[in-house]
Amino acid sequence: MNSLYRRLAIPYQVWLVVLVFLPIMAVVLIAVSNLTTANFNLSDISFSLAHWNDLVENQSQVDGEYFNSYLTAFRNSFMYASITTIVSFIFGYFLAYQIKQSRIKNKFIILTIIILPMWSNLILRSEALRNIMQENNIIESILGFNILPSFAGTSYAVIIGLLLTYMPFMILPVYTALEKIDDALGEASLDLGLTPFKSFWKVTFPLSLKGVVSGSIMVFLPTFAGFAVPKILSNGTILLIGNVIETKFTYKILNIGSLLAMLVLFVILGSILILTRFDKEGETLL
Amino acid sequence: MKKLILAIAIMLIATAVVSCSSGPTLRLLNWGEYLNEDVIDAFEEEYGITIKQTVASSNELFYSKIVSNTTAYDLVIPSDYMVEKMVEEDLLLELDYSLIPNKDLVTYMAGVDDIYASMTATTLARTGETVDYSVYAVPYFWGTYGIIYNNRVDGLEEALNEYGWSVYFDAETYFPDASRGMYDVPQDAYATALIYLGENPNDYSQDLLDSAQTILQNAHFSQWADDALKRDVEAGNLDMAFAYTGDYLDRLYIQLDDGRTLEEVQADFNIYVPDPTIVFIDNMVIPYTATNLDAAHKFINFLLDPEIMALNAQSVGYAVPTEEAYDVIISYLDSEDSYLSSWAYANQTYYNKDREGTYYPMTSLPSTFVDDITTMVDAVKVSS
Amino acid sequence: MMKRYSDYPVATLKEYGYRDYSKMKPVNKVLKTILAYVLILGLYLSIIVIAIESFNSSTSMSRFAGFSLEWYPNILQEEDLMTAIAATFIVSLIATAIATILGTFFAIGLYAMNKRKRQQWMLLNNVPILNADIVTGFSLMLIFSFFNQFIKMVFVGLRGDWSLFGPTTLILAHLFFTFPYVVLNVMPKLKETDPNLMDAAMDLGVKPFKAITKVLIPAIKAGIFAGMLLAFTMSIDDFVISFFNSGELNVNLANGNQFIMNFDNLSVWIYGVLGKRNLSPSVYAFSTLLTIFTLVALIGYQMSKNKKDKGRVKVKK
Repeated sequence: MNSLYRRLAIPYQVWLVVLVFLPIMAVVLIAVSNLTTANFNLSDISFSLAHWNDLVENQSQVDGEYFNSYLTAFRNSFMYASITTIVSFIFGYFLAYQIKQSRIKNKFIILTIIILPMWSNLILRSEALRNIMQENNIIESILGFNILPSFAGTSYAVIIGLLLTYMPFMILPVYTALEKIDDALGEASLDLGLTPFKSFWKVTFPLSLKGVVSGSIMVFLPTFAGFAVPKILSNGTILLIGNVIETKFTYKILNIGSLLAMLVLFVILGSILILTRFDKEGETLL
Repeated sequence: MKKLILAIAIMLIATAVVSCSSGPTLRLLNWGEYLNEDVIDAFEEEYGITIKQTVASSNELFYSKIVSNTTAYDLVIPSDYMVEKMVEEDLLLELDYSLIPNKDLVTYMAGVDDIYASMTATTLARTGETVDYSVYAVPYFWGTYGIIYNNRVDGLEEALNEYGWSVYFDAETYFPDASRGMYDVPQDAYATALIYLGENPNDYSQDLLDSAQTILQNAHFSQWADDALKRDVEAGNLDMAFAYTGDYLDRLYIQLDDGRTLEEVQADFNIYVPDPTIVFIDNMVIPYTATNLDAAHKFINFLLDPEIMALNAQSVGYAVPTEEAYDVIISYLDSEDSYLSSWAYANQTYYNKDREGTYYPMTSLPSTFVDDITTMVDAVKVSS
Repeated sequence: MMKRYSDYPVATLKEYGYRDYSKMKPVNKVLKTILAYVLILGLYLSIIVIAIESFNSSTSMSRFAGFSLEWYPNILQEEDLMTAIAATFIVSLIATAIATILGTFFAIGLYAMNKRKRQQWMLLNNVPILNADIVTGFSLMLIFSFFNQFIKMVFVGLRGDWSLFGPTTLILAHLFFTFPYVVLNVMPKLKETDPNLMDAAMDLGVKPFKAITKVLIPAIKAGIFAGMLLAFTMSIDDFVISFFNSGELNVNLANGNQFIMNFDNLSVWIYGVLGKRNLSPSVYAFSTLLTIFTLVALIGYQMSKNKKDKGRVKVKK
């Protein structure tokens, strides 16, 4: 019987190979070519690693200091993604835990309430956040005072924007993991004399680790490689690696764009490997 | 599941009914809201040709849509430098002026002729070929770039009138604490920096690139954006922004629509057009992908009619390219309709036919230069 | 001499490490509840601002000129917006439907494999979820362009303006990232089912396909629904991947005319319009309608369910 059902997966296996492997191969090929607007005809394309130098070369000088804009963008990406992941872990875990403690038992409802904001367009949502982070904004014009300090364009604005956009990706996996924990375990630990906090720390938390890892990766990766939220909320002044790649693709500097995309792919593959150590089949990924 | 399938079926039928069109079509690749609905209606009624518009937000997108040939557009409205690039890469068809009789009835404004002459000159310098761009292109709208400023800030207007570009690029010296936004198009940023330095914005060398980088870095712009700039100056969240004069007029018309007067709006925010400044011209061109040449020529001819061109300008804040259309607009100065009279007044103020100044259209720099400029601007942003 | 029980020192609860937290509890609980609501409010902050914009009589994004409902009926007047909404729903509904149905079968197929193999394929399944949108979008475009050229070479008779790019590529691209969500959500439910269930059904003479539809699928319904919901969510808000892979619908009608429809979804359309011009507040109105409609449907569903449950209890009595 199993061999019969196994055949059901064959189309999907073909699909995955064609649409996961081939595109990645194509990106790698472009990353080692000279494909830019200057060489856009097929006949001009050849193997080239000249642009790889750009990655390590010191590119520009500011106030007497040399620095490399790609490295800076990568560092920005790491920094913003890490901060967002840590903060959304703290708040996301808290919220998931509260939801689990509450009496709402219908997972479908919870899922919908958490992800419903995502049905609205990401650009509109980011613009809306930027709007109320400015001095003169729509809420101020109604209330007469600002509910938030005017920090549009700063790194705080970017972090808050990333947090509010990607926190659902933390809440859901953690909730999924928490939901699977047998309540009896916690009660047993309390009966055995653990304080509520210790019971949580020694029993509940380790069992929910799978969800925390999945959630962290689900938050880290899109913040690391995304570009829309930082672009809008930083007023275009803070570049993450996603913004640099976007510019390269927009202006058809495909080889450098692909090279940077390839480096991002390494980060992603690394994350997937970490994930598989904790959660072999990604069960807690959304 | 049955309900879901039913819902999909209903959606499909509904959309088919909504957007079903019959008869020949003109596939137009255009900027967002760059064609007055009334003009579309008039054209469709007159010729029975349906206009299908696709909007894109940059010349680069126009280019990639034409090159990738994923859709066969009949007419595109790219700007000057993109026309140069498209002609150079043989992406455009020559116009058949026998199908455009209205061309003989109008005169292009002096500024428009200057721009075409400048395009020919830069092409000659770059490739050694003399190209007459009117063979491929008919102007659609043109306009200047300027500095939109927050007029609620005391003294800013006077400072701009006195020191011009310096207030924008060197605010620390001329108007401390003024926040400024730059247009998020690398070549525009480069070109303005060169103008500030007194250079021709279409020149390129490593030295110029380095100087431009220094200028841009020291300017410490608080914002790099497109559309958001004008909205932020309007709301009072930004003091100065480099933008199209048309962007300003666009917001002006909307506020006039909301019932405010010209003076009220100008007291809130206004635009200063420096000299020299950058200009652009958007042109109607027929890409090699075109399948309905007849409709494309009919559309170009239709738009050259002064009345139609003026009608189109009513909803778009840019300057009309022909003297005849300008005269039509100016004839509304004494109109009873306050919107129309303000519109005519705005055209007279900001796009005066007789305004003198040095206009630089931006050329299509070789792509290796554009690559370098793009990288340079990214470096400026990263270092901020 | 025997020590009596009472001679032993008796440890108090405190000495066991027990602390009485009961007095702190109410305060803690209130604080926790407040924080939880603040966080949920934060998630909905942008949605609330969008709703306010949709009731603003002025098109200004920063000045509230007065309450107005005019933008709601105006959605129907905005042809471009309507086209974008239609394209969004067509793509998302079709992609979600296909992903849900086929994805369920794929998951069953993967489930039937041995553990090692299944884990390897699940790894690959997760790549589209975790990959950066911009990499996915760009690389899919490369592959589709290649297919496009290939098809044009093989079928020489195609019209010059024929292109693979359009609804086909958009739906394929959306399937690319919706399949994994369905598979991911169905798989755990499959593992929860009793392995003997299917064998029993087949022993009773049920045909293999029938066994899936009649026995297995009802058992994993919750997972299928969750997968469907997530697939739809990811599809309806997708911007980057759609941006690289959209085009237009172009059909030759029987009467010799062409039917052409822009197939940019709402996100791509908004991005294009935002570049140069003002967004009509009707976009906010649509966004708000979608949220309110879903919330109302959800609350209604929950209430009707509660009623049903109460009814059941009564019958039992």
